[in-house]
Amino acid sequence: MKLLMTASQIRGLPVVTVRGGEDVAEVRDVIYDPEAGRLVGLSLNQRGFLAGRRHEVLPADAIHAIGQDAMMVLEESSLVTPADAPEDVAHPATERNVLGDDVLTEGGTSLGKVTDLVLLVGSSGEVVGYQIDKAGGGQGYIPLPAQLAVSGDALVVPNITEEFVEDDLVGLGATVDEFRARLGLA
Amino acid sequence: MSAVAWLIVVVIIVLLAAVIFVIARRRRRGGGVIATRGKR
Repeated sequence: MKLLMTASQIRGLPVVTVRGGEDVAEVRDVIYDPEAGRLVGLSLNQRGFLAGRRHEVLPADAIHAIGQDAMMVLEESSLVTPADAPEDVAHPATERNVLGDDVLTEGGTSLGKVTDLVLLVGSSGEVVGYQIDKAGGGQGYIPLPAQLAVSGDALVVPNITEEFVEDDLVGLGATVDEFRARLGLA
Repeated sequence: MSAVAWLIVVVIIVLLAAVIFVIARRRRRGGGVIATRGKR
């Protein structure tokens, strides 16, 4: 099943084991690779009212499925210690939090500020767009290419992105393939 | 201490507890959307 979800919907999801149905953690940070355009892992909180951060992390390849109501893993041992996890997941660079950053087109037009990340979930996590506070006011969604070279601190997107600003997630889902086809990336 | 003084002490304790609770919840929830390198 394919489903579009925002990172804020994923944050706070319980991490549940397929074998046993145990609720073992809660998603804290969503960590993604902008060059590969995909989720690379999650940092975790412990379960419980005031419980703190969980030492173990969850690399993307250990995720069994991402659903609307839970992050599924095969068993609790799917959570790995930072020593056994990829560096980006083990020690997420919190200064690279993209929320609040400006989105600029290659032509220098500001489209707004990032308020969320949109992922195509199911068995994996492909990054397909951003939710933004539009420069002209209101909220919108912009599609992203499957891959794009990274650039400094600004979130720089192709000029044609301006034509594909959608008002809701459903609209974004419908426009991603067309957007990528226009860029010759589909 | 008078009853009023006790009441003030209790109110201050309750307010402090509420502030600590909110800070603890925010620290616990935390989290963000983190790019592994640069940004796009």
